[in-house]
Amino acid sequence: MNRGNGHKSVLVIGGGIAGIQASLDLADMGIKVYLVEKSPSIGGRMAQLDKTFPTNDCAMCILAPKMIEASQHPNIELLTYSELEEVSGEVGNFKVKVKRKATYVDWEKCTGCGECTQTELGGSKEFEGEIWVDRIKIDEASCVQCGECTQACVEENKERHAMTNVAFERRKFVELPPEEREGGEPEILAQRVALMDEESRADFWHKELSKCIKCFGCCDVCPVWIYDETELENPEWIAPGEIPPAVPLFHIIRAYRIGDSCINCGMCEEACPVDIPLRTIHQLMRRQPPESIFEIIPGLEPEIKGRLVERVKERPVVKTEISK
Amino acid sequence: MNCDLVLTVCPFCGCGCQFYLEVLDGEITEVVPCKTDEVSGGQLCIKGRNAAGFIYHPDRLKSPLVKRNGEFEATSWDEALKIVSGRLSEIKQLQGSDSIGILSSAKCTNEENYLMMKFARAVVGTNNVDHCARLCHASTVLGLANSFGSGAMTNSIPEIEGADCIFVIGSNTMEQHPLISSRVLRAKEKGAKLIVADPRRIPLVEFADVYLQHRPGTDVCLLNGIMNLILSWNLADNDFIAGRTEGFEEFKKKVGEYTAEKVCQITKVDRTALEKAARCYGEAEKASILYAMGITQHTTGTDNVESCANLAMLTGNVGRKSTGVNPLRGQNNVQGACDMGALPNVYSGYQSVRDEASRGKFEKAWAVKLPQEPGLTETEMIDAALKGSLKAMYIMGENPVLSDPDVNHVRKALSELDFLVVEDCFLSETAQFAHVVLPACSFAEKEGTFTATDRRVQRGRKAIEPIGDSKPDWVIITELARRMGGTQFNYESPEAIMEEIVNLTPSYGGISYERLDSGEVLAWPCPSREHPGTKFLHEEVFARGKGRFFAIDYEQPAELPDEEYPFILTTGRVMFQFHTGTMTRRVPALEREAPTGFVELNPEDAARLSIVQGEKVQVESRRGEIEIKAFVTDRISPGLVFIPFHFAECAANELTSRNLDPEAKIPEFKVCAVRIYKGDKHG
Repeated sequence: MNRGNGHKSVLVIGGGIAGIQASLDLADMGIKVYLVEKSPSIGGRMAQLDKTFPTNDCAMCILAPKMIEASQHPNIELLTYSELEEVSGEVGNFKVKVKRKATYVDWEKCTGCGECTQTELGGSKEFEGEIWVDRIKIDEASCVQCGECTQACVEENKERHAMTNVAFERRKFVELPPEEREGGEPEILAQRVALMDEESRADFWHKELSKCIKCFGCCDVCPVWIYDETELENPEWIAPGEIPPAVPLFHIIRAYRIGDSCINCGMCEEACPVDIPLRTIHQLMRRQPPESIFEIIPGLEPEIKGRLVERVKERPVVKTEISK
Repeated sequence: MNCDLVLTVCPFCGCGCQFYLEVLDGEITEVVPCKTDEVSGGQLCIKGRNAAGFIYHPDRLKSPLVKRNGEFEATSWDEALKIVSGRLSEIKQLQGSDSIGILSSAKCTNEENYLMMKFARAVVGTNNVDHCARLCHASTVLGLANSFGSGAMTNSIPEIEGADCIFVIGSNTMEQHPLISSRVLRAKEKGAKLIVADPRRIPLVEFADVYLQHRPGTDVCLLNGIMNLILSWNLADNDFIAGRTEGFEEFKKKVGEYTAEKVCQITKVDRTALEKAARCYGEAEKASILYAMGITQHTTGTDNVESCANLAMLTGNVGRKSTGVNPLRGQNNVQGACDMGALPNVYSGYQSVRDEASRGKFEKAWAVKLPQEPGLTETEMIDAALKGSLKAMYIMGENPVLSDPDVNHVRKALSELDFLVVEDCFLSETAQFAHVVLPACSFAEKEGTFTATDRRVQRGRKAIEPIGDSKPDWVIITELARRMGGTQFNYESPEAIMEEIVNLTPSYGGISYERLDSGEVLAWPCPSREHPGTKFLHEEVFARGKGRFFAIDYEQPAELPDEEYPFILTTGRVMFQFHTGTMTRRVPALEREAPTGFVELNPEDAARLSIVQGEKVQVESRRGEIEIKAFVTDRISPGLVFIPFHFAECAANELTSRNLDPEAKIPEFKVCAVRIYKGDKHG
C-alpha cells in the first residue's frame, strides 16, 4: 500500500487459518501478498486439530483447500520457515527484514518426488504425509541426523540431487565416532540428546527434570491432555507438596498420557517456567523407544529397571509418605 | 455471551507477574498467562495459575460484621462505619491520637496504602502506621538505605539472566520466587556460576556450583569470611572503592579479623567451598546477590543486609547491569506499601516525618497539622497493646495472629484492646478478635497499581463486580475518613489518588495510569513524565552520594539452643501456600499439595528420638507448644528443624521469639530454641 511509488503490497505475518484467509482475500483483490510463517508449513494450529468448534467440521477439510490455494495463488508469495526480524518506515511505506531459515534443500533442484519422506523415519505411520506445501525441508528441531533422506535423494535423482551439502555433512557427522566430530555438539537439542551415550543422557534428563516446580502448566495448556486425578495427583506415586516431583515418574506419566495424541504444538514448553525441553521429550518419544529417552524399559521385571530409576534411588529426590 | 480478558497483577509474591483473568458474563473462569509480560513471559507458578481460586470461595465476607455478646452479627455498612468512626473518634479524644495503631497491607494497592497512611496521619493524627514489611524486609529498607541511600532492589528481574555469578543467600528462590529462579536457571544455562548459601538444602542447591550450608544466624561471619578472602587475593575493585565509597579502611581492618579458619569453625562451612565461593564471586565480571528472609529476619538483620552491600561494593558490583544487591520481596505490593509511606517514620517516597520541609509539604497538601515524632512499629504496637498504652487498632488485610512472632503474646495483646477493626476478604484468625469486621474486595474487584520487588509499577485492573456487599479498601477508607472529619478525601477513582501521590512523591513523579495502560514498564525512580523509569539504581553516584562501608562484627542470634531446648528452629514457607494461607488455603489445588504443616528433622535426630516419618510430635519452645507431623529428611542438617508458618493448626509462630533487631525492629523468625518429643509423652 505504498502511497508514494504506486506499488500495492501487504505483508501478512503468521500462516495460520487467519493469515491464510487474509492473504487469499487480499490476493483476490489484486494485491501482492507476502505471507511469512515461522514454521516450515502454513496451516498453523488448525492443521493439528481434528474437529473445529462449534460445528464439529473436519478441520483439514476446511483448511487444506485454502492451503493449496494460498500456495498456488499468483499474488501470494509464501515465505515459510522465515521470521520477521525488523520493521522500519511508516504506514504506507514499510521496509521489513525477513530471516529465512535454512531448509538444507535446494528448492530449484527439488522435483518434489517425495522419496526422502519414504525413509524409515519419514515413511513411518506417524510421519506419513509430512510433505510440506512447499516441497521438502529438514525440520531442524526434529532431525535426528540419521541421513537416510539424503541417501534417498541421491538414489532417486542421480544427476540433480536437491539435498544440500549441509545435509550430507550432517550425515557424515553422525557417522563419525564422537571424538572425531569437528565443532563439538550439534545445535539442536533433540539431535544432541539422540547422540548422547546412556550415562550422559540419564544425567541430562535428571538435571532437566529436577528443575520442575510442579506448576502443572504443561498439563493446563495441553490441548490433548486428558485430566485424570488418579495419576499425577496420586499421593502413592507423586508425593504431594514436593518439588521437584518424583523424577522421572511425574514427567513419564505426563508424557505417556499425551503420547501419540501430541500435536507438537509446543505450548507445554512455552508454559514451563523453568524451561524443561518438554517438546523434545515428545519428539523423541515418537520415534524412539522410551528406554533410549528415559532409560526405562517398560514391561521388564522390576529388578531390571533402567539406569535413571537406579540413579534416582541413589540421589533421594523422591521423598515419600509425607501425606500419611 | 460476553468474554473479556482483563490484564492484572498476580496477588502473591513480589515477582509481579501479570496475567489475564478470563471473564465470561461477569464471572472469572480462568487465569490466562500473558506472553508479552516482561517477567513471566507467559509462564506462571502453581500459585499464579490458581490465583483466581479463592475469589468465589463461600467463606468470602459479604457484609460488615459487628460483635455483640461475643457473636458476630451481620449489619449494614452505614451502621458498621458509624460504630467504627464513633469509637475511633471517642478513643482519639479521650486517650489521644497515639493510642490508636494502624496496620496497612502489602496486599492492597499503592493508592490504598497511601490513603491508609494519610488517614492515620491526617485524620487520626498519629504516626502509628506500619505494615508487614516490619516482619520481612524492615532490615533491608534500613540497611540498604544506610549503605546505598535507597532501600530497594538495585536491579531489575530480567537482568539476572545476564549475570556471570549469582550469589543466593537466605532465599529459597525456586519455591518462593519461582519466576525469578527461572532467570537464575537461565543464567546458569548461559554459563553463570551459582553460589547458594542456606542452612537448608533447598531445591536450588541441585543446580549450584558452590553450596555453603552455614549455621542459621552466622551470615555476617560467612560474608566477612568471603570478603576477607577476596581482599587477600586482591580481587577487590580498588577504583570503585576509591572513587565511589567511604569507610573502607575501618571495614578492611574489621574484615581482616575473619580468617578462613575462624569462619569455617563458626559457620560450619567447608573451607574449600568457602574459597570457591569467594573466587567465583570475586572473579566475576557481573555478580548479582539475591537475598530474602534468611538475611533479614534476624536480630542482626540490618548487619546482614549491610554485609551484603559491603560485598557488592568491595567488588564494584553495584550500579551496572546484571549486578547489584537484590532483596526479593515476598508480597505483590510490599515494595509499594513501603514506597507509599505505610511506615511509622516516613511519608510516601521515604520522606522523613522528622524533616520539616517534607512535613510542611504534606501539611500544606492535606491542610492539617501533622505529628512529627515517628510512631510505633508493628511489633511495638502489639507490645503497647498488652501494656495498655494502645487502646485501638485498625488492621487492613493483615493477619498478625499467624504472622507475628510468639502469637500467644499477640492474641493476649489483641484481646486487651478496647476496640479492634479488621478489614479483610475472609474472617481471618485476627478478624476473630475484632469488634467490627469490614468486608473488603479481592484484587480482581478493584483498580489500582502494585509495585513489584524490582520497583516496577504495574496496573491491577477490575475484572468483576465486588462479591456480596464487599467494597474496595480505598472506598472503605475514604468513607471512614470523611465520617471522622477528613476533608481531603474526595476521590472519584484510584486514578485520582495516584495523581495526588505523584504530586507529593518525587520518585513516582512520572507515573500515570495513561502511561501504564499504554504498556510502558516503569520502575521508580521515575521523576517526570518523560523519564523512562530506572532499570538499575546507583549508576553514576549512589543515592546517598558515596556508598558507605560498615565494619560489622558477627553477633550470635538472641536465643541459642541449650540443654533444655536443644534444637534450633528456623521458619519459612513452602511452594504451595502463601503466608498465613488466608487465600491459598481456600484453593483446592494448593491445599491438595500442602494440606498441613510439618517439622523437618534430620534422620540422625529422628533416629535418636525414635521418631518415624509422618509421626505426630510435640515441638515446644519457651513460648508455646504445637503438635505437628514429623518429616524426616536430610535436606536439613542435624540440630536444626524447620517449620513452615502458613498453618493455623500447627503455627510455627506459636514458638518463635520476640527478639528484635534493635534498629529495624524486625523479629528473629529464623532462629529460636525448641525441644521435640513424641506425642505420647503427655498421654
